[in-house]
Amino acid sequence: MVVFALLIINKAGGLIYNREFHSGLNKLSSNDLLILAGTFHGVHAITRSLTPHRWLPESESSPAGKATGIEVLESSTFRMQCFQTITGTKFLLFTEPHQPNIDAILRRIYELYADYVMKNPFYTVEMPIRCEKFDRGLDGFVKAKA
Amino acid sequence: MATPHSLHHEGPQKPPPSTTLPLRQHPQQQPQPTQQTVQALPVQPATGLRYPSSKKTIYDRNINRSKTAELSRAAFAYLFIEMIGYAQRRVKGVADLEKRLNEAGQPLGHRLLPLLLHRLPSPPPRPTRILPLLQFITTTLWRHLFGRPADTLERSAANAAEYMISDNEPLVSQYISVPREMGNFNAGAFVAGVIEGVCVGAGFEVEGVTAHGVAEQGGGEGGMWPGKTVFLIRFCAGVLEREEGLGKGM
Amino acid sequence: MVVYSFYIFDRHTECIYSRRWIPTRPLSASSKTIRPQSGSSITSNGDTGPAVRKGFSKEDDAKLIFGTVFSLRNMVRRLGGDEDHFISYRTGEYKLHYYETPTRMKFVMLTDTKTNNLRVVLHQIWANLYVEFVVKNPLSPVEHPGGIGVANELFEMGLDSFIVRIIQSSNLSPFNTNDNTEIRFSSLNTLN
Repeated sequence: MVVFALLIINKAGGLIYNREFHSGLNKLSSNDLLILAGTFHGVHAITRSLTPHRWLPESESSPAGKATGIEVLESSTFRMQCFQTITGTKFLLFTEPHQPNIDAILRRIYELYADYVMKNPFYTVEMPIRCEKFDRGLDGFVKAKA
Repeated sequence: MATPHSLHHEGPQKPPPSTTLPLRQHPQQQPQPTQQTVQALPVQPATGLRYPSSKKTIYDRNINRSKTAELSRAAFAYLFIEMIGYAQRRVKGVADLEKRLNEAGQPLGHRLLPLLLHRLPSPPPRPTRILPLLQFITTTLWRHLFGRPADTLERSAANAAEYMISDNEPLVSQYISVPREMGNFNAGAFVAGVIEGVCVGAGFEVEGVTAHGVAEQGGGEGGMWPGKTVFLIRFCAGVLEREEGLGKGM
Repeated sequence: MVVYSFYIFDRHTECIYSRRWIPTRPLSASSKTIRPQSGSSITSNGDTGPAVRKGFSKEDDAKLIFGTVFSLRNMVRRLGGDEDHFISYRTGEYKLHYYETPTRMKFVMLTDTKTNNLRVVLHQIWANLYVEFVVKNPLSPVEHPGGIGVANELFEMGLDSFIVRIIQSSNLSPFNTNDNTEIRFSSLNTLN
């Protein structure tokens, strides 16, 4: 299994965490990564509003709450899965194009985040994540899978 | 007989141990204050505390009711975050913060001592010797708080008044990553406060109980127990004197 | 398989062709295979359809889609290198397929979420319909500002029957969309 990288974007579109597990994607400067996170945040919101279901009459379309932005993006060299929490934090996981079980991986990463970031008294919500135990947990999990 | 008497004078700054003792000796009397509380209800409405309409407050319940009950670890973690945040508000450094957490833990120890002693199968008298007290802490208290006994209990080779309890994975710091600027802060200071409360409550004055992180070296990244913590208990000279006297009397 | 809409953008970022298919049967959980029907329900350029709920005009829609694919394409290139291609993205409600020709024209199609990759299909629309009926049309201008010369009769007819065939073949064997598509398309060519 190859997991290239993980980005976490807060609900305002700011990059609060980035981690490379495996080389394969271009190395970006931290400034470029910030731009990328901001761009993705905007595009994500647009893709949610672009849904063709809005052309349908009210009664026939899906409930508005179900509308999501980008969940999966595919390119010829990688696959990016985006998981958005109900509070608007986005987890972007970059993997190989045919990586199986990404949902389970993201779920586990979210658990690690809930435990070692949100339950850390020294973490300020929406700010960059600097939690040693979160890093270690991710390493242990991703490397154990590899 | 003279030893406990002198103890009261030795530690005037600590709450007198006698306050906790009657509770243990007459546990049946506990419901009494409860009745008063409930009766006083209509007189003082909106105090911020809410009482169930059935008038079944926590004091009306059987004292053993929550004996085997478990609490959510996440609930504790979030509460603990707020405690640390609160303690951090008016402190000037790591030592100050640890002191405040220690103080927050002390009342807990004071209250747990009689409750846990009462719950033991055949309630023994309160520990009067150091070793039974420490064993009470490492087994009964630890099991009650963390669901398992402490990992080791040692006596310091350098100082006879110092004892060390170690926990390989303290629950309180399970989710905590200490930022670099906080240096060697250890959230175990809160547990140290609980230990201090138990010791003082049982009549063992201490100079202090402190928590120290001692990550083991070797054995992979950061050792096998990166969160290993040692609780250092320093008893006062008077306690040691009494211990000696009791030993001779035996 | 459901096809919702289709767009072509030229190298000047202008939308030169767009087409929207609105399902005529009500969407419900059981009917996952609504398909556009050629004929009266197809709304070609300009017509906004009977049931516009909210939001944007067709022009705004096209601009937003262009902005989205442009941003994502740049993001993919930045991460994966210049040789990388943005292929598709999927939300909870629809999937967007993308194909860029060597001449930097962009073909975009929106479908339901369960559709397999349509890169090949978009390539075929470009190679076999756009090149055949628009580029090779002597009456069509070289550039198509405002979409002039793209929506000619042959191209639209070809597109319609091509889409209908893709949908039919995918409904017959949903696990083999791409393979079937090519077969169907070659038969379409012989018909023409």
